[in-house]
Amino acid sequence: MKHILFREHEVENIRELDVYVNNAGYAGLKKALGMTPDEVINTVKASGLRGRGGAGFPTGVKWSFIPKNEPVKYVAVNADESEPGTFKDRQIMENNPHQLIEGALICAYAIQAKAVYIYLRGEFWDLATQLDQCIEEARKAGYLGQNILGSTYSCEVYTHLGAGAYICGEESALLNSLEGKLGQPRVRPPFPAQKGGGLYGEPTVVNNVETLANVPFILYEGPEAFRAFGTEKSPGTKVFCVSGNVVKPGNYELPLGITFRELIYDHAGGIPDGRGIKGILPSGASGPIVPATDEVLDTPLTYEDMDKIGTVLGSASVIVLDDSIDIAWAASKMAKFFKHESCGKCTPCREGTYWIDKVLDRIITGDGAPSDVDLILNVAKNMQGVTLCALGDFAANPIIATIKHFPDEFKRYVDPALKQEKKAVAAPKRAGGAAQGRAGRGTEKTGLVPAGD
Amino acid sequence: MVKIYIDDREYDVPAGMNLVDAAKWHADNDIPVFCYHPKMEPVGMCRMCLVQQGAIEKDRATGEVVLDEHGQPKVRWMPKLQTACTQRVTDGMVIRTNTAEVDQARQNVIEFLLTSHPLDCPICDKGGECPLQNLTMEHGPGMSRMQFQDKQHLDKHVPLGDLIYLDEERCIQCARCVRFQDELVGDDVLAFHERGRRLQIITNSNPGFDTYFSGNTTDICPVGALTTADFRFGARPWELTEVPSIDPFDAAGSNISLSIRLDRDFGGKAMIKRVMPRQNESVNEIWISDKARFGHHFTRSENRAQSPMIRNANGQLMQTTWEEALKSVASILKAAGKDVAAIAGSQMSNEDLWALREVMSAVGSTRLGAWPITHAGADLVAQVGVGVGSNLGDLGKGDAVLIIASDLEEEVPIWRLRLKLAKERGVFLAVANARHTRMEDFATACLRYDYGMAAHFLSNLRAENPDLAQQLAQANNLIILTGAEGLSLDGSRALMQAAANFLIETGHVGKPNNGLLSTFPGPNGMGQYYMGFTPENTQDIMINPPKVLIVAQADLYHDDPSASQWVHEVETVINLTLFADETLSHEAHTILPIQSFAERDGTFTNGERRVQRFYTAQGPIADALPAWQVLSRLGEKLGRGKAKLSAATVMADIAKNVPAFAGVTYKEISNVKRQFPDVGGRDLYYGGTAYQNRGGLGVQLKTTAESGEAINTAPVELVNAPRSQAGQMLIVPTTVLYNRERTFLPSALMHPRVMMPYAEINSADAAKLGIKSGDVVEIVADTMRVRVKAHVNGGAPEGSIVLPRHLTTEAVPMTMTLGRVSKVD
Amino acid sequence: MNQLQQKYQDRITHTLSKYPDKRSAVMPLLYIAQEEYGWVSPEGIDQVAEICDMDATQVKSIAGFYTMYSEKPKGKYWLQVCTDLPCALRGADQFHEDLKAYLEVEEGGTTADGMFTVEHVMCLAACDKAPMLQCNFHFAENLDMDKMKVLIEQWRNEVNQQVNGSR
Ligand SMILES: Cc1cc2nc3c(=O)[nH]c(=O)nc-3n(C[C@H](O)[C@H](O)[C@H](O)COP(=O)(O)O)c2cc1C
Ligand code: SF4
Ligand code: FES
Repeated sequence: MKHILFREHEVENIRELDVYVNNAGYAGLKKALGMTPDEVINTVKASGLRGRGGAGFPTGVKWSFIPKNEPVKYVAVNADESEPGTFKDRQIMENNPHQLIEGALICAYAIQAKAVYIYLRGEFWDLATQLDQCIEEARKAGYLGQNILGSTYSCEVYTHLGAGAYICGEESALLNSLEGKLGQPRVRPPFPAQKGGGLYGEPTVVNNVETLANVPFILYEGPEAFRAFGTEKSPGTKVFCVSGNVVKPGNYELPLGITFRELIYDHAGGIPDGRGIKGILPSGASGPIVPATDEVLDTPLTYEDMDKIGTVLGSASVIVLDDSIDIAWAASKMAKFFKHESCGKCTPCREGTYWIDKVLDRIITGDGAPSDVDLILNVAKNMQGVTLCALGDFAANPIIATIKHFPDEFKRYVDPALKQEKKAVAAPKRAGGAAQGRAGRGTEKTGLVPAGD
Repeated sequence: MVKIYIDDREYDVPAGMNLVDAAKWHADNDIPVFCYHPKMEPVGMCRMCLVQQGAIEKDRATGEVVLDEHGQPKVRWMPKLQTACTQRVTDGMVIRTNTAEVDQARQNVIEFLLTSHPLDCPICDKGGECPLQNLTMEHGPGMSRMQFQDKQHLDKHVPLGDLIYLDEERCIQCARCVRFQDELVGDDVLAFHERGRRLQIITNSNPGFDTYFSGNTTDICPVGALTTADFRFGARPWELTEVPSIDPFDAAGSNISLSIRLDRDFGGKAMIKRVMPRQNESVNEIWISDKARFGHHFTRSENRAQSPMIRNANGQLMQTTWEEALKSVASILKAAGKDVAAIAGSQMSNEDLWALREVMSAVGSTRLGAWPITHAGADLVAQVGVGVGSNLGDLGKGDAVLIIASDLEEEVPIWRLRLKLAKERGVFLAVANARHTRMEDFATACLRYDYGMAAHFLSNLRAENPDLAQQLAQANNLIILTGAEGLSLDGSRALMQAAANFLIETGHVGKPNNGLLSTFPGPNGMGQYYMGFTPENTQDIMINPPKVLIVAQADLYHDDPSASQWVHEVETVINLTLFADETLSHEAHTILPIQSFAERDGTFTNGERRVQRFYTAQGPIADALPAWQVLSRLGEKLGRGKAKLSAATVMADIAKNVPAFAGVTYKEISNVKRQFPDVGGRDLYYGGTAYQNRGGLGVQLKTTAESGEAINTAPVELVNAPRSQAGQMLIVPTTVLYNRERTFLPSALMHPRVMMPYAEINSADAAKLGIKSGDVVEIVADTMRVRVKAHVNGGAPEGSIVLPRHLTTEAVPMTMTLGRVSKVD
Repeated sequence: MNQLQQKYQDRITHTLSKYPDKRSAVMPLLYIAQEEYGWVSPEGIDQVAEICDMDATQVKSIAGFYTMYSEKPKGKYWLQVCTDLPCALRGADQFHEDLKAYLEVEEGGTTADGMFTVEHVMCLAACDKAPMLQCNFHFAENLDMDKMKVLIEQWRNEVNQQVNGSR
């Protein structure tokens, strides 16, 4: 398959500006600058591109919300990538950085933004340095800065590093963080696209890295070329981050609509040691787990089909749990994640994540009562739909869905008839040996860098 | 107005009103809240206010309401519950607050909050007036499913500075305190630290929680997480009686409530346990400064004067009875002929002042001096002060305020807070002074002139600052707020006249939110004027000292270095005083102990000419009596008719004799009406603590401009300010809020906040004089000699030394003077 | 001009130039302060507050919210092992335990020689290359204890060289 995003598969060193430019790089931007901003937005609308950050909102529609008469507007690129099991934006930025920059600039032009801020999670420290270099090169070549490619349009691109907070991936928290405030979500409305809701109060588009990296292709090749991939409602390709108990974990850019079975067995090499699959988390820790039934395995990975099996496509970070995995332990891992990452701003999330973790710990150390399982289920349900941002819902999912699909895995710990002795759960040993085959050419970090560098 | 539906009933409410406020005000429906506070922007944090929300469906094309099969308007409900606090009402909004789902959601939030909240209500300062406690009773789950030993155990006594303590376990992370400091005060010295369940309030300022308004956070904290060092564990809220009173420290006349209890520590008498704000939306809303809150200790100072004293033939002060003392004073006054004068301080009530005036009339003297003599022009405020119905909270876009010659945060902190907010609502706020003051941080425009030149600056505004002049002139509403920093009394008069003229010429008088305001020291500067006491008279008294001088609640020696000279020339000093240890006591022939504002009733007239009542709260100190009573009895001895039996009857006399007070009665002053937002009373969860106004909203006196009389401008008599000259510098006395005045010093709690005596020196001057920051310098002017620490480049303009009053034990001049400074080795 | 401003003038000026509001620079500047003092120390906070024109309380608040700022001194090499679910499925928990045992430290603790601090962290977007860790914000991936021992040796040598070199 031809890649839209991971073009390093077809073109070596596409990360370098001249290679990129020689392979139609910045041609989408050039084309966009010849169109009116509205035409650009309509093109993106026509492609049916949906946000890759998780919610799947139509990208062109989001851009069209930006009021035309406001003088100052911004683009914020969401490169916070902190969902457990998600590592795709990193690969795009490492191997094809100019495509992100170009996509962001097209977006900026479409809404007539003054500047683009790429908000990277703090741990992408080295990546930010590389991106800064790319930005500098692109500026020198006239692709950004004053009078881009000789047009009257000017726009700056900056990187900004977070510092370790999952919540800053939530768009309004991201904006707060960029403004030097606590990375806690804001009350909406006003939404980021509205006056008063965006960066520094100005209308702002927040898009995921992968979303924007699709845009140059859409502009250059046209919306129909994009729609040639995927389904009617979920057009295009998607990067599937496959992790957990598979032989070849990694990123796979594939058309939307392939099935779990194809993804896991044909691409990710199946399950090590010939084991079976117990459950799949299609969207990191935050989406509901699904049991690996044949029906599930044959479900196409699209926004609409995931809905049918009671889960979400989200950022398509597929974590595979083989049949040896203790689901209560996995739930506890996720509960700890959300407890650690709850920003603390709203009551149900702050208190709920704390108590779920506390009681779940009691359960898996064998000290729990049968009522404890109902208790965490009830606490999780009480968090659903009432929190300030979606993190509360995300945190409830691992509890509600694991208990729903795997009730016995919890019962073993609390049912006096079943629990023989107190036994702490054993974490899995190394799955399938050291680093397996690489899907993309994700550059492996050796760690051989001096301290304070 | 828009139509909204709450629990199936229809209400007309103003468009854009906050939904929680609208439900409470118009539908008497208390949607429970924790984080929401009507004075602050909603944040939607606590999730307590969830309601079912929908909208009446309207046909897109016709705009007609769509009806369902029963002919009822069709409602499109939102799939999830919504937070009411983050909604503004719109036409056709439908909410339900009484469904099972809403009940459950409220119960859930309470349960969540209680999972981390300690069960120490019985020992909590907030117990009995705690929104969390109340809402738990109303909406809570009844029992907790989480075990107490699982709760987090956190620090329960974290000092946030010296004044406020935090109990980390009790905090429910509503951010009211943080938002108050940030949004309302503009001192963002509180913040959250960490995240998730570890989220905790911190301060990292120096000193900790560095602001003049910190106490307010303890009121609005919806739990007992924030407590004041003053009240902590002092009493149980339900043992307290709330007595309405007035802040005795400044011209704002903030409405306060004195919480009293019969107390062992005070001989079983009623004692002030804490001071709380009392809602008066036109005056202080629901806020008070920390000085008002923590400055009450002087009322119980061990140095309070206990009984009347008369100096015997050997020159010793001897205790005596009131009858003897008053007889003696009466004979001294009679013997003096007309050679009697009186000086009255600005903490004297209207009634006290009137009774003193009556005594003076009895001896045929009109020498009524006001103390201190910093601010002139109260007569101009009486003519063109802000109109009846003025409210700084109403100022907004299109309006303008000019603050000149004042360091407002130090002089009248509540005005500074309210004007900071006014600026944010769009008011054009100009601040003019010879140096940087805190108010500039909140100003639209900052202007500089040289010390002493404030009146010149304002008189020449049109010529020299035409843009500013035009901004001010064209404002819908304009207030000019003057101080007296860097001015002599004559200079102050010139400034007031210049301000009055500008207001008159630009048509900004005789109506609400227009006119002149001034930072008269003390709570009753305007009362002094209306009762006939003026600083000009005082000046005359100082130049031509009388044979007999009555000094009433004025700390002459501490306020004025020249007092030691001119008071000496007085033959007999009669001192009505709170404190036995005042320096004047060494001179006084008679000492008459009087009661503070806390022990008796009376009225003050604030800078906006609002006459407001304070009520008897604290038990009396020994033989001390209200000044009006002492003076009224003295008047009787001098043939002025029977002594008055109550402050109210004195007020009746005032109303009869002082035209501006015509018709003013205690009854009218005590009137209250429902104020928006509703706080206190049943609605604890709004304000956090009960401070409903039950003592009256006061009566604002009409200005001459409003009584239809012609107001004419008078020429400004510019006075040439002294210029610094070779070897000499301008010594500019300034006001700092926390100082060593007699009525503030006894509040030991505040001592860490009172600066060591200092003077600000410009770095260029300092370099010339070889002075570095921290050096001790001696400042000498005609009658003054003080030693203070130098703060180099603290903002003093070149050639002048900014020297705060009342930090040193020796007096600093009341007005600007020339002097020398030298380094002390 | 404070110490940080003097020492990192160019970086700070460049950082401030990115944003219309100084406050936005607080996070990048906290990194600089951390670099200078080895942790976000009180003097670091005060200087950042001064540069960004913020109250020190707000700066401390930011430092406390984000996990990559350390409000306590750390070892020279701050090793943060990802033990989140995807990594844990590939043996990260065991790796983390082995590493702590090898260096003889408790969770969050620092080796006696002040060289290494070991703690676990949440997902670092390297799930396919587990076990992995970040060392002073640089990733080391596809690890096992054998590789780890080599790395530790190298880091120790680096420090020794620096020490010797500076003699
Ligand atoms: C708790 C939380 C974490 C999120 N984290 C990320 C993230 O790491 N990366 C991302 O792109 N979007 C994340 N999102 C989604 C963003 O809020 C937002 O929807 C997205 O950036 C929009 O971009 P898109 O339309 O291109 O998908 C997160 C949302 C929530 C509620
Ligand atoms: S201390 Fe009180 S006001 Fe401040 S956040 Fe905690 S509960 Fe709210
Ligand atoms: S969320 Fe509405 S009152 Fe707290």
